[in-house]
Amino acid sequence: MSDVTRSMEATTADATARVVRQRRTFASGWWGMALLIATEFTLFASLIASYFYLRFQNDQWPPAGIEDPSLALPLALTGILVLTTVPMFGAVAAGRAGHRWRAWMLVALAMVVQGAYLGLQIWLFADDMNSFSPSATAYGSIYFTLLGVHHVHVAVGLALDLWLLGALAFGLTNYRFLALRVIALYWYFVAFIGVAVVITQIYPSL
Amino acid sequence: MAIAVPKAADARIDRLERIWAERPGVMGWLTTVDHKRIGLMFLFTSLAFFAAGGVEALLIRTQLLQPNGTVLGPNGFNEAMTMHGVTMIFLFVVPISIGAFGNYLVPMMIGARDMAFPRLNAFSFWVFLAAGIFMYVGVFSGNAPTAGWFDYVPLAENTYSPGPGIDFYALGLIFTGVSSTATAVNLIVTIFKLRAPGMSINRMPLFCFAFLAVAFALVFALPALTCALVLLEFDRLLGFHFYDIAAGGDTILWQNLFWIFGHPEVYIIILPAFGIATSIIPTFVRRRMVAFPMVALAEILVAFIGFGVWAHHMFAVGLSQVTNIYFAAASLIIVIPSGIQLFAWITTIVTGTPRFKTPLLWIVGFIVLFIIGGLSGITFAAIPFDQQLTDTYYVVAHFHYVIFGAAVFPILGGLYYWFPKVTGRMYFERWGQASFWVSFAGMNLTFFPMHIVGLLGMPRRQYTYPSDLGWTGYNIIESIGAYLLAAGLLMVVANLIVSSFRGEAAGRDPFGGATLEWATSSPPPAYNYAVIPKVSSPYPMWDAEDRDEDVANLASGRMVLEQGHETPASTAVDADWDEILDMPSSSPWPVVLAVAISGIFAFVLLKQWIAAGVFVVATLVVLAAWHGKEPQRA
Repeated sequence: MSDVTRSMEATTADATARVVRQRRTFASGWWGMALLIATEFTLFASLIASYFYLRFQNDQWPPAGIEDPSLALPLALTGILVLTTVPMFGAVAAGRAGHRWRAWMLVALAMVVQGAYLGLQIWLFADDMNSFSPSATAYGSIYFTLLGVHHVHVAVGLALDLWLLGALAFGLTNYRFLALRVIALYWYFVAFIGVAVVITQIYPSL
Repeated sequence: MAIAVPKAADARIDRLERIWAERPGVMGWLTTVDHKRIGLMFLFTSLAFFAAGGVEALLIRTQLLQPNGTVLGPNGFNEAMTMHGVTMIFLFVVPISIGAFGNYLVPMMIGARDMAFPRLNAFSFWVFLAAGIFMYVGVFSGNAPTAGWFDYVPLAENTYSPGPGIDFYALGLIFTGVSSTATAVNLIVTIFKLRAPGMSINRMPLFCFAFLAVAFALVFALPALTCALVLLEFDRLLGFHFYDIAAGGDTILWQNLFWIFGHPEVYIIILPAFGIATSIIPTFVRRRMVAFPMVALAEILVAFIGFGVWAHHMFAVGLSQVTNIYFAAASLIIVIPSGIQLFAWITTIVTGTPRFKTPLLWIVGFIVLFIIGGLSGITFAAIPFDQQLTDTYYVVAHFHYVIFGAAVFPILGGLYYWFPKVTGRMYFERWGQASFWVSFAGMNLTFFPMHIVGLLGMPRRQYTYPSDLGWTGYNIIESIGAYLLAAGLLMVVANLIVSSFRGEAAGRDPFGGATLEWATSSPPPAYNYAVIPKVSSPYPMWDAEDRDEDVANLASGRMVLEQGHETPASTAVDADWDEILDMPSSSPWPVVLAVAISGIFAFVLLKQWIAAGVFVVATLVVLAAWHGKEPQRA
């Protein structure tokens, strides 16, 4: 029986790294996050499908009086969000090797950039609100809803980052490594779906 | 040696009892993470909602007993009709199948000691309870929704449904969606990770295949409903225009989103029943299921194809002919996996040696009713026929044969079948059989004449009808049938209540069941199995050598896992033993989190945005507290 892993005994960085190598299959927590992502992915698919459904019910899109969405800033911001997956990926690799502080630094780096991304996006959101309203046309309704739902997902990711940085500051355990891994997975999803959302957002200008 | 062995085994069992003990009393129930206690709470809560939905059904049938009835009046009828549908689907069938049967039985059948996420499991129950209360607060405060269970816009928009009725509906369904999603995720991970070492995927009981298919269907179907409901609430609360044609919105968008969820939901409702049937049949006919791999695949295929047929609910909407034909053809394909299962059940019964005890009677009744409901379903795939019969009682007849006959009958059979396991006592067989026959007669009397009045043109969802259309006689029969059906169901409840006090002791395995839950005592101990069972086929209880090995293992301490809240984790397909997990023990956070989330929904309904925001923050704080304590050995 000694050859079977008892993952919860892994309360040090070295033991964690060993458990991670020994385990032959994804942990329960990984499956949980993968399925949460599956259901959130479907939510975005429904929203994006609703966007295009409404678009093809209207001859003019966006409706008269609303400018076509700008291209440069949303695309650049999404590019930056996608780039934050690199430090998240690095943080997982560092955690797997048992390098707690390197993982902490990389998550912190990603979080700063993600936070700046969200701040700029909120500013853009408010700016858009000044030029057209979600409660005037269906275009405005779906535009702001789609972006808003994505921003909420980014905000949730930031809360997860914050919790993770707090936890990692007190040491690396199997539980925290798993958290690091699934939070990274969450960010890959948020970045990937961000690309789909921004393409939908700028679609009238393409 | 002969004396020392049972002593060592007793000591191990004492130790497990100590490790897995939960708090006594009310606090024990509030903080429990035991999948069996959570399953029982799901059972009692969903049965209470079943009673509520049943009362609504009887009110409807009383109103329709005579032409120009005056029992309910138009608004009362609409409330009863809407809440009957919502209650039966979202607060009864889904929670009783995945919440009660899935929760209680899936971990037992795979030889696990708990669900993969025990606290999430408790959370999904408390959220379900809160969501049910939320919707019934609407009913009792005079704000029941009145737009039918599928709540079509523009009727459901502010203009035509002012007041908070629809908000109770929409927010309540988003709320129950949280619970169902949590349970579904939990079931999938439990099935993939916690199967006893040796239970490779081809040795997993068909019951678990059915629940796996249901759980996946929920994960991918619910977001479409959530999306539709969020857009509706944005329209209603914030003045958005998703469904407002004047501002570029579209009403058919609601119908598409709703039925992208709604049709998979039909299979979400019925697949657990298939799983129950595949458990009961082998036990009572003393043979293995015919075509095991075909049935397993068919269960999953039904759930999968169910995602491609939604527009057959919309043949009368005016979609293009090509679209209609595609969806008609796709709908017909479902006949194939359904037929495979049907023939497998029938062949298993016919080629076995059936003992027609109460549980098997319900399953035979289910097969008969499913054939009738399935055949009337096929008629709807003929588009012109559907366009003629849509929104008549023919549709009501069809889906009650499927949902009541094919989904609820096996649930009732399952209640009888697993009653001895859960309570340790036998039900009364003669009364059980009588309750079946009364319910079966009542079911057919209620719903069969609806085919005929439907063909005669009686529209559904009308609060009354005139006396000169030749519908009166059928409606009287239907209403009498409904009372008979209610009597049959009360007989079931009375039998089980009396049996739980006065039934004979059942022992471990009164029926000679095939799956692992019969290997442990009745009722099962908190840790389910003193020894993680050895599995070498999908009918482990019929492998006597394996069960002897379990007994030997208890004495030697092999596979006992007695150092903490431990359960083994295996690889997803082959079930090689990979890890020993230390599961969380009782926790106050799930119920607290459910309360915090209830606050969000309540204040959004009241449009108190700041208060809702406070509860969002509270939710985050509770989540942080929840994750503050790491699952480590004490």
